[in-house]
Amino acid sequence: MGRNALIWAGFAAALIWAGFGADMGLEHLGGSGARFSEFLGRMLPPDLTIWREVLRGLSETLRIAILGTVFAIILSTGLGILASSRLMPTVIWRPVRALLAIIRSIPLILVAMLMVGAVGLGPLPGILAVTFHATGMLAKFYAEAVDASALAPVRAVESAGGNRLQQLRWAIWPAIAPTILRDTVFRFELNLRESLILGIVGAGGIGLYVQTYVRSFQYEKAATVTLAIIALVLLSERINTALQRRYS
Amino acid sequence: MTEALRLSHISHRFDGDLALDDISFTVNAGECVALLGPSGAGKSSLLALIDGRLRHWQGEAKILERDLSPQRPPRREARVETGFIFQEFALVDRLTAYQNVMSGRLGRVGVLSSLLSRFSARDHMAVAAALRDTGLNEYAGRRVDQLSGGQRQRVAIARCLAQQPRLLLADEPVSNLDPAHAEKVLALITGTARREGMTTLFSSHQPELSRRFADRVIGLKEGKVLFDLPSGQLSEEHTNLLYHGTPVAAGLRVVS
Repeated sequence: MGRNALIWAGFAAALIWAGFGADMGLEHLGGSGARFSEFLGRMLPPDLTIWREVLRGLSETLRIAILGTVFAIILSTGLGILASSRLMPTVIWRPVRALLAIIRSIPLILVAMLMVGAVGLGPLPGILAVTFHATGMLAKFYAEAVDASALAPVRAVESAGGNRLQQLRWAIWPAIAPTILRDTVFRFELNLRESLILGIVGAGGIGLYVQTYVRSFQYEKAATVTLAIIALVLLSERINTALQRRYS
Repeated sequence: MTEALRLSHISHRFDGDLALDDISFTVNAGECVALLGPSGAGKSSLLALIDGRLRHWQGEAKILERDLSPQRPPRREARVETGFIFQEFALVDRLTAYQNVMSGRLGRVGVLSSLLSRFSARDHMAVAAALRDTGLNEYAGRRVDQLSGGQRQRVAIARCLAQQPRLLLADEPVSNLDPAHAEKVLALITGTARREGMTTLFSSHQPELSRRFADRVIGLKEGKVLFDLPSGQLSEEHTNLLYHGTPVAAGLRVVS
């Protein structure tokens, strides 16, 4: 049997196992069309009278994302320098990179649940979770930007008598600033999207309203929250694109 | 006369090959010396060594009254006094010509104020003088990625001049230029250095230019000093020796 055949056999086995091996409820899929339309009907028309709550929830989410991103930038600046093979000896940058990989591997929602356990309910655990989670990615990006920058100007500053910090400020930073900005804005957009659900585990923001309205079957209110979230995400995408175009 | 640098029995291996093979010579303060030789002769390695950027070499080197270590980079005070013009310019594309030239001052200013890009009137004056000497006044505010190749090279020269070194090193400053430009650039470098009383060491593979602009020519081949003589004495025989591998004739090896 060739290698390709083996791979295809593996795919087939996985598919059969996933679909038929356990009771995944797939048999209900056929008759669910009517239930879906009935459910959608209950979401309509969206109840717009709750706009105050929606606005409060959204602004809390936005503030969590902003503060989480700012703290992540501060931590990532330090950790990014430590994770740079250009600036640090191997005994430092390798362990720091490994630590960042571990941080990245923990999903945000899991970090948020742990933070709620540690500091209690409210936006604070949300901010801490976003900070922690975002730092894993941002510090790696920062380190990679430093390591990919041109070496010759660094040598020139060194030759002129500049120390490591001056090399970073005058030879590396000017070259990588657009990359750093792009990565940071990208991470902010991710932070905003991901923190929309933090409220579900009690870590603040609009997620709390999603959960409350769905659990109490107030689908017309849940619909309003969903629409508001879509609007916010689209808006943040627009702003991100505009920024990218402006600074490149 | 005081010595600007003294090299004694310098050897250096690169990938197992001897890139520098028992090199010894001295350069007096204020002298202008050309390192002449084909590519791969060891000119760039030798200049990097004198600039304190080469590690793991053997021998002894004294640069501007300081012993150079083969293991550690020189201290800041020492690096400030040796200026280097890089072959590929080594500029920061997104900074202006002015900012690039200002980075030549980094060894002379306080670290904190330089991080906040606050420079003294003295630094600004040094930059202004360097820009004026290199004819770059009108381009000072332009980002260097918007300048032509020739202008970029002058920015690299200005950065080195703004540093106000005592010893100026230039690695193949005219290798990519047409003859007219090459003369202008070498005249600019050696002329300014002479006026400011700097000692100059530049590498080149062009005998004619070396003879015209240097006081002394040191011929390097395969990591060895082949000849070392006043530039007026550089003959066709020497260049043949350097470039065409004519066997070393007895008595031709002139070492002062």
